[in-house]
Amino acid sequence: MQDKIQHNYFYQQPVAEVWAFLTESELIAQWLMPNDFKAAVGHEFQFHTRPMPNFGFDGTIYCKVLEIVPMQKLVYSWKGGPEPGVINLDTVVTWELQEKGNGTALSLLHSGFSANQAMIFGIMTEGWLKNITKIADLLNAPAS
Amino acid sequence: MTTAQLDIFQTLADPSRREMLHLLSKESLTINALAENFDMSRPAVSKHVKILHQAGFITIRDIGRERYCLLSQDGFTRLQEWISYFDKFWSNKLKKLETVLNNKANA
Repeated sequence: MQDKIQHNYFYQQPVAEVWAFLTESELIAQWLMPNDFKAAVGHEFQFHTRPMPNFGFDGTIYCKVLEIVPMQKLVYSWKGGPEPGVINLDTVVTWELQEKGNGTALSLLHSGFSANQAMIFGIMTEGWLKNITKIADLLNAPAS
Repeated sequence: MTTAQLDIFQTLADPSRREMLHLLSKESLTINALAENFDMSRPAVSKHVKILHQAGFITIRDIGRERYCLLSQDGFTRLQEWISYFDKFWSNKLKKLETVLNNKANA
């Protein structure tokens, strides 16, 4: 089963120009979505798009810059869910740029869609469910 | 016996039900075979199965004389929908970037 999305695209503009459109908030907004992106590792930002209740998605994409190699590579997390604080989509977007002739070869990898349902349960169990259980255990613990 | 409808979080909050899903992710089992893995009464197992079923995590199918629990495809389906949604999304956005870049060059 497919668990990632990959696109390769060629632009006639030089790398620096394409890079600017990936890393400057106002330029990103022109083609992607309104955002508060900053090109700094660790910076947390959001994209806003239309909500899709059928997907359990409220229209906000929560991101964090994970890696920047100027003019070459940009990686950020890409998370979403039905309401603030609840994440059911936990993925990563990786952009890579390469000079090609006078233009730019841009590759996009959107990964982290869990391929295996058992794995989803595993992740849930390991992650926030553990915390819920912990709280439940504390609540149920006999008063000593 | 009535069972209050639980949401997916409440459904998964119970360790026995999570363990049942783990077992069913490996193979489909009859309720009896499932029950053998747990130190609880058969009615208690049935109640958990019912809750998992109501929350859409499993389907129950009668095969021959046996009643089997199968992990539901809903999770997979939803994942596929997400992937195909974002696949189109990116395809459109990358085209839009091309338009924006070209317009800028002509401006």
